[in-house]
Amino acid sequence: MTTFDERPATAAETEVFGQDTVDRARAIIARYPRSRSALLPMLHLVQSVQGHVSQAGIAFCAQQLDLSNAEVSAVATFYTMYKRKPCGEHLVSVCTNTLCAALGGDDIYAKLREHLGSDGKPLGHEETSGTPGEPGSITLEHAECLAACDLGPVLQVNYEYYDNQTASSALELVKALQSGQKPAPTRGAPLSDFRKVELQLAGFFEDNESDVDGPSAAAETVRGAKIANEKGWTAPREPDSVEFPALPEKK
Amino acid sequence: MTVAPEKSAELVVPEGHVKLTIDGLEVVAPKGELLIRTAERLGIVIPRFCDHPLLDPAGACRQCLVEVEMGGRPMPKPQASCTMTVAEGMVVKTQHTSPVADKAQQGVMELLLINHPLDCPICDKGGECPLQNQALAHGRADSRFHETKRTFPKPIPISTQVLLDRERCVLCQRCTRFSSQIAGDPFIELLERGAQQQIGIAQEKPFQSYFSGNTIQICPVGALTSAAYRFRSRPFDLVSTPSVCEHCSSGCAERTDWRRGKVMRKLAGEDPEVNEEWICDKGRFAFRYATAADRLLRPMVRDADSGQLRESSWTEALRVAAEGLAKARDEAGGVGVLAGGRLTVEDAYAYGKFARVALRTNDVDFRARPHSAEELEFLAASVVGTSPESGGVTFRQLESAPAVLCVAFEPEEEAPIVFLRLRKAARKGRTKVFHLGQWTSPAVDKTFGTLLPCVPGGEPAAIEGLFFNSGTAEAFEALSGSGSVILVGERAAEVPGLFSSVLRLAERTGAKAAWIPRRAGERGALDAGVLPNLLPGGRQVTDGTARAEVEQAWGLAAGALSAEPGRDTDAILGAAAAGELGGLLVGGVDPYDLADPELALRAIERAGFVVSLELRPSAVTERADVVLPIAPSTEKSGSYLNWEGRRREFGTTLDGTGALPDCRVLDTLAVEMDADLFTQTPAAARANLERLGATASTRRAEPPAVPAPPAPGAGEDGVLLATWHQLIDNGSLQDEEPNLAGTARTPVARLSAATAEQFGVVAGEQVTVATERGSVTLTAEPADLPDGVVWLPLNSGVSRLRRELGAGHGATVSLRPQARGGNS
Ligand code: SF4
Ligand code: FES
Ligand code: FES
Repeated sequence: MTTFDERPATAAETEVFGQDTVDRARAIIARYPRSRSALLPMLHLVQSVQGHVSQAGIAFCAQQLDLSNAEVSAVATFYTMYKRKPCGEHLVSVCTNTLCAALGGDDIYAKLREHLGSDGKPLGHEETSGTPGEPGSITLEHAECLAACDLGPVLQVNYEYYDNQTASSALELVKALQSGQKPAPTRGAPLSDFRKVELQLAGFFEDNESDVDGPSAAAETVRGAKIANEKGWTAPREPDSVEFPALPEKK
Repeated sequence: MTVAPEKSAELVVPEGHVKLTIDGLEVVAPKGELLIRTAERLGIVIPRFCDHPLLDPAGACRQCLVEVEMGGRPMPKPQASCTMTVAEGMVVKTQHTSPVADKAQQGVMELLLINHPLDCPICDKGGECPLQNQALAHGRADSRFHETKRTFPKPIPISTQVLLDRERCVLCQRCTRFSSQIAGDPFIELLERGAQQQIGIAQEKPFQSYFSGNTIQICPVGALTSAAYRFRSRPFDLVSTPSVCEHCSSGCAERTDWRRGKVMRKLAGEDPEVNEEWICDKGRFAFRYATAADRLLRPMVRDADSGQLRESSWTEALRVAAEGLAKARDEAGGVGVLAGGRLTVEDAYAYGKFARVALRTNDVDFRARPHSAEELEFLAASVVGTSPESGGVTFRQLESAPAVLCVAFEPEEEAPIVFLRLRKAARKGRTKVFHLGQWTSPAVDKTFGTLLPCVPGGEPAAIEGLFFNSGTAEAFEALSGSGSVILVGERAAEVPGLFSSVLRLAERTGAKAAWIPRRAGERGALDAGVLPNLLPGGRQVTDGTARAEVEQAWGLAAGALSAEPGRDTDAILGAAAAGELGGLLVGGVDPYDLADPELALRAIERAGFVVSLELRPSAVTERADVVLPIAPSTEKSGSYLNWEGRRREFGTTLDGTGALPDCRVLDTLAVEMDADLFTQTPAAARANLERLGATASTRRAEPPAVPAPPAPGAGEDGVLLATWHQLIDNGSLQDEEPNLAGTARTPVARLSAATAEQFGVVAGEQVTVATERGSVTLTAEPADLPDGVVWLPLNSGVSRLRRELGAGHGATVSLRPQARGGNS
């Protein structure tokens, strides 16, 4: 039975999102001086429960933050990290931005689409192979630059990096994921699953902080700095004053 | 080439201003002014879509690009003149003098049109479309885009009254900014991103706002259209007549667009002093009542044989009415006049004069709602005659007041434009708004207000409490700031002692008190003397000097006017029901708006002779002996006095329909009774009223001095009823407009958690509120009401409290949960 307290828990609150989610939502809100600032982590929080941002999730955020559903929808539909359809156990993001694409990202994406597709139809962007949420289910997407161009082509599983991929290594990786294994990412935290990562993105680490902090830079990324360090190279000092070139003649 | 004269008279740059050059012209502008505005002042029009002077700058459409040079350095790219403010020494070149700006604007226009369907020939906006106009003025004849345009299913309804064609949208975000900034209803937003970016609403959550129609008007393209008006006509086929809204006491300027004798739509008119550029949806959409199929067009008299009303000629109807009224006046104890609250000043004046001259009585009252003697005293002492000229409270003053206290007044529901001003004032952080009411209604939130909660009927006690209660010291202090205002609404008349307390509070704090009635005609009727204690111009019936002035102006014998105040609405009805009054003359009054509809109906039945002046059939016309049809506001001229006391004059929109204004009907009726009103036309009535001028009498009406009663309690088993009208409800002036009705707020019963628990009421389930007369069953919704109080809308859906319960604000009612599935 619904209770009649000051601000009643709606169906959206109690049925879809349990008390622990409500508590977490309130903890997120407490982090910010203005409650609406909490919207981004809140959307990750609802994704950690349902594997996507559902209408109930939108209503939940709106209610917790005293926003209108339209305001929450505006944000939720703007960012690609908020998914409209339930995601699989893992989210595989293949970088198909220019650099990775040229280095083989397009091939990787094509290979994975074909592998994950069914009935001779390749899997589409943000579509899921298997039953969303079930073990071994995989949502595939093509992504814009994942900020690892020096390691391209790259892909991410639940936002963890797998660097210097090829079509066959990626295929291997996905097959392993499907069979329930969790191959270690090239760097960063060990692989978990999409919903757990969403919870981390909402700022809840469940005593596993150590998993996600610490350096995650690849050898390639810091190679230049290392050499400079060894050789004692530094950038030239900035001069104290700079002469600006003369203004062009007014026409 | 024009050369500036060698020794141009140096422009003086006052403090807080800067000097800049636009298209070679030197201009002084206040710091902070937007370039596009400064250019406008010089007569230089820069094309724009998203810019709107009443919305915060957004820089969303990029159509207003100009070249800017600062300190001798040109900025690298053209700049949006709608977001950039003026600066000393700035040199600005618009499309008129800069090929770069011109090319940039053409480029933006080309991009804006890439996905636009170019369907102007079937678009409502075609002919009055800023996109169409500016594309012709500043665009290219050809587009370089030959690929397939992005399409959307069209249109999608975003509420029952607003439709959205996303293909036509240029993403200027005027609609979303209006809704979140001006109205405070952020139910329409920019969704998605990139090429899919689009305006939309949350799924299954319509664009809920009393002001949504404004977005249709300010959309610079044809993306937002009105469900009621869509595809009905082209702008260039319409005749536009300036008009004034007939609904509430804000007195908004409107533009009525019509053709072939039919009003097609209404738009907000511009009046910076009153409604700026906004109107509410009721004012915009509710006008079809006047063309309802049941509109009365011919006079009717009751057939002596059949007892039925039958159509008659004006001659016959007026003769029968005159004879009947004269007989009732002379032989049956007199005739009472109920004028109604929706009259123009001119028509109201005719009712007052008809009562005094033709019926020789002071038994006249415009208040077709609960009222009190205290209210009469309040109106006579503090309201009548006030106007912006005489230093009365104005819309503008609300905007600059340090604090505003709303007492028994729900601004968003009762005077929406007052609400918009309060929100504007509060949003700028200048004004603190306090609401003396029962729960945190949407208006409290949206005016960033503070609720001073009290039980219904406990308002006077709460006000007295302001004087010493430390919890409300903030409110008291704020109201003591110079320029503060107290706004008191129509339901104050249902709370004994409230007007007196308001005046005491005003005196103690120095705040000015203003009265905001709900209906458009009340303020005018007050000043026109349609009350038992007042003659026109605030002259008191009991004041000999004042009476003599009126007698002289009206050509009456000295002493012809009675010095005895007449009966008010309740007393008139009571007397008629008791057989003490032989006749009634009733203007547009719906008995179900009165405090006691049963008494009213009994009175009308019992009165020997009833004349009804009406637009459409009502419970009065059903029982009348003579029914005289009168003109709706579009078919007559006249003026309203808005709550400020500002005269809002309007001309006839639809000429020659043959419908007669009340003043004309009464004038002719008076002639039949050998009396002259000189109100043949609204203009004549106005002239006649103006001849009276201001009174020379120095007698001032005594303000009411009712001591504040203690806050009431409802006793053991009852609860107190709090109630007010919702803006969009069952009102008969909203008939025939289903799209508007679709945006009404759902009627619910609101109560606190403790009260719910006490009576076993469950949130979301039905609760029945009852009196001896009857009951109303609604869904229960929790709200922060004081315990022992239930709130219901006064006249929404099944919640017709006067009709069903015979109860109003402050009444005691009983409460019981309704078993699930039960409907008895
Ligand atoms: S619908 Fe109209 S007002 Fe709203 S963003 Fe689009 S063009 Fe602008
Ligand atoms: S392009 Fe793939 S990571 Fe930057
Ligand atoms: S009018 Fe300046 S950016 Fe739209």
